Amino acid sequence: MIAVEQYLTLAAILFCIGLFGALTKRNIIIVLVSIELMLNAVNINLLTFARYGLAPSINGQVFTLFTMTIAAAEVAVGLAILISLYRNRNSSDVRDQDLMKW
Amino acid sequence: MVEYAWLVPFFPLVAYLLLFVLGRRAQEGIVTTLAVLASLAGFVVSLSILSQVHANGPSGPYIFHWLTVGSFDLSVGYEVTALNAMMLVVVTFVSTLVLLFSKGYMNGDKRFVVFYQYLCLFIFSMLGLVISPNLLQMYIFWELVGLCSFLLVGFWYFKPEAAAAAKKAFIVTRIGDLGLFIGIVLVFVATGTFEYSGVFQAIQSGQLNIDWMSHDNFVTLVAILIFVGAIGKSAQFPLHTWLPDAMEGPTPVSALIHAATMVAAGVYLVARAFPLFEASPDALTVIAIIGGITAIFAALIGLTQNDIKRVVAYSTISQLGYMVMALGVSAYVASTFHLMTHAFFKALLFLAAGSVIHAIHHNQDIRKMGGLWKKLPITGWTFLIGALALSGIPPFAGFWSKDEILTGALQSGNTTLFVLGLIAAFCTAFYIFRVFFLTFTGEFRGEKDVYDHAHESGSVMTLPLVLLGIMAIIAGLLNSPVTGYAFEHFMHLDGELGQVHEPSIGMMGLSTVVGLLGIGLAYLMYKSKSINAEAMANGPLRPLYLLSFNKFYIDELYHYVIVVPVVWIARILNFVDHWIVDGIVRALGEAGYVSSLGLKYSQNGQVQTYGLITLLGTVLLIGISLYVVIGGIY
Amino acid sequence: MFSGLVITGQTVSFFLISLFVIACGVMLLSLKKVVYMAMSIGGVFIGVAGIYIMLEAEFVAFIQILLYAGAITIMLLFAIMLTRHDAIETPQKITAHPVWAALGSAAFGLIILWVVKFSGITWPVPAANSPWQGQDNVKLVGEALFSNYVIPFELVSVVLIVAVVGAITLANKEE
Repeated sequence: MIAVEQYLTLAAILFCIGLFGALTKRNIIIVLVSIELMLNAVNINLLTFARYGLAPSINGQVFTLFTMTIAAAEVAVGLAILISLYRNRNSSDVRDQDLMKW
Repeated sequence: MVEYAWLVPFFPLVAYLLLFVLGRRAQEGIVTTLAVLASLAGFVVSLSILSQVHANGPSGPYIFHWLTVGSFDLSVGYEVTALNAMMLVVVTFVSTLVLLFSKGYMNGDKRFVVFYQYLCLFIFSMLGLVISPNLLQMYIFWELVGLCSFLLVGFWYFKPEAAAAAKKAFIVTRIGDLGLFIGIVLVFVATGTFEYSGVFQAIQSGQLNIDWMSHDNFVTLVAILIFVGAIGKSAQFPLHTWLPDAMEGPTPVSALIHAATMVAAGVYLVARAFPLFEASPDALTVIAIIGGITAIFAALIGLTQNDIKRVVAYSTISQLGYMVMALGVSAYVASTFHLMTHAFFKALLFLAAGSVIHAIHHNQDIRKMGGLWKKLPITGWTFLIGALALSGIPPFAGFWSKDEILTGALQSGNTTLFVLGLIAAFCTAFYIFRVFFLTFTGEFRGEKDVYDHAHESGSVMTLPLVLLGIMAIIAGLLNSPVTGYAFEHFMHLDGELGQVHEPSIGMMGLSTVVGLLGIGLAYLMYKSKSINAEAMANGPLRPLYLLSFNKFYIDELYHYVIVVPVVWIARILNFVDHWIVDGIVRALGEAGYVSSLGLKYSQNGQVQTYGLITLLGTVLLIGISLYVVIGGIY
Repeated sequence: MFSGLVITGQTVSFFLISLFVIACGVMLLSLKKVVYMAMSIGGVFIGVAGIYIMLEAEFVAFIQILLYAGAITIMLLFAIMLTRHDAIETPQKITAHPVWAALGSAAFGLIILWVVKFSGITWPVPAANSPWQGQDNVKLVGEALFSNYVIPFELVSVVLIVAVVGAITLANKEE
């Protein structure tokens, strides 16, 4: 029997991988992907508690669906921004996008 | 017609507003026509008012409610007394001629219309001052004429001297105005009214609402405070310094404002409030002394000045001193009479001087004039008439009025004042004929070119001269045996103010002889050259000459006693403000700026850096809160 | 950590899937070529879908495959092609930034692990039987979506439309 802890641990590891990637990777696409990874970790948590929580319910799954929808929208917009940025600055490196510098 | 007295100031006001609307591009002819017509209409109305007052006596006041402050109602209105009616005629008459004269004098000036606007505003203010029935309204117009004087003295503001003179005129008269204002407030506190009639009644009946001062002292105090206002406006010693400098303004302005009307406002004010002054013999003594000092003082300075307008300006101060002295010795009629005659012949002298200046390309130095009689015959004749009138030679206007003042001074028992007045009369005759001989006789001492081009001005300038010349001849007869002392009877329609002095043949002879002596000396020194003027100036009399030439060093005295300390105080305060008050503020600003200079480098625009810092902060916060929570649990 | 863990088919498959997911995640971090990175994220998504199935969320797992492993990964690949398909994540110099990021991430993970395992929280003991035993998962989700969550559902559809329009506008070349 898999306990709640195991799922939560897996989610935590996934989340940390995503976090590290989002903070260090240079390609904007990979940064975006890392964020998706973090969202997946959260989804695992949601489903875990939907199944093994104190009050198991289908609502967790519905919430996951919503999260995924928003994530899909985010990726769509994010990639559009990326293409626009690339077109304007001819680079997909995060560190080149520093217009808000002092 | 008397009830329509408000029309008199109303016409110039309308002219002012119309000129204001017309703007600077209006044609000079239209502007002049409009202004002269307005002033002329005022003159006609004034004449009919005068005749009606002569027939029916004074009328008014016509009072309108203005506003209510607390339980007190302020009112405005107008009033016509014999004095007012006389002033209205004089002011409108001189104004009309000056407006006409300005057409020629200011011809081609870029701000021609503005000049006429200011003049119309001034005429309105002056007439409003004259017909005011209460002290408050009078004070408002009093300040308005001061403002107009400022604007017109500084009319050629691009000349630094003119700008400085305008400021000086405004500030020095403001010192007097402050005294006047305090006086008015005190009067109001004591009597609860601003109306002349109410104030006079309260003072004569002794019902004053004061408990911190005796009645007599209070009246003296108020009278002297109001007289301080007159000192400032009428350029009496020791606030006379602004008037000679005010000659930087255009000459028509000098003629109208600084000779005939505004400077007479101080005398007018004292005359208007004469019942108040009559109640205090002490105040009258002060006034007489100040007037006497001013008369002799300005006359002595006038002896040595070289600027034609300044000589006439000092003679104005001197003559105003005469008027004030006359009021001080209760010679009310003599003073007002001199006020009237002086307005005519002094405006004449100024306009004639203006005509000379205009003819020789705005040169004012009499050392560079001479021999202009042939070139400017009308100007020369009228200047001669004015000079004779000023010197007190019969039958010209100045003779009759000056004679009355001297009589009044002698009969009041104050011999010193009489002697001062007599010496001043001698000096007056001397310096005005010095100017006359230096200007119109002998050889021209300036550039020949200028002399060749000099010619008599057009009729707009000579007509006012001729009219004023006629007035300078005949105005004196109004209060002479020829007309049966008509002026005196007229002024007594206001009530028997002051004392009436019996004219004496001996006095007439004496003053005439003194005047002729002055003229004779001037002739010997500057026409026939039998006395060498320069040798006298550089000889044993040199200290006296320098004293007179440097105006008794009054300006320098004021500069070192008042201006310099005030400037130093201002500098110290400026230092405090600049380095301490501002310093603190700037230090705070600088601190913010410097710290932001350092902090801005943390804003490197890298999203990942921000994210990392956010993460570290979050970890730190969670760590701290967990530590606290666990510390609480275990 | 693994005390009381009984080796069953379920546990074995859980650990295998977990290992796969974490391995793909680490590959994502360590690979050089951006294309490979995008491929490895596909592995993560598929593995996570397996976890979803173990959590008895079949419909969500299905959507995960369809949306993430299918649509999003393909879209990422397209984006990479459109930008610089041979892009290489150049090896970073060891600067303060990645070190601090690693430290921060690790600390964050450790805190979560500590809370999960050692903070003394008693997690609910999983019920032996599924709460919705024998019921159709899709039907359950559908009922919940169209009854309780109908308004959020409609709102999300609006968000999607806005996102699509926005994406087109942003990516559209200015003429």
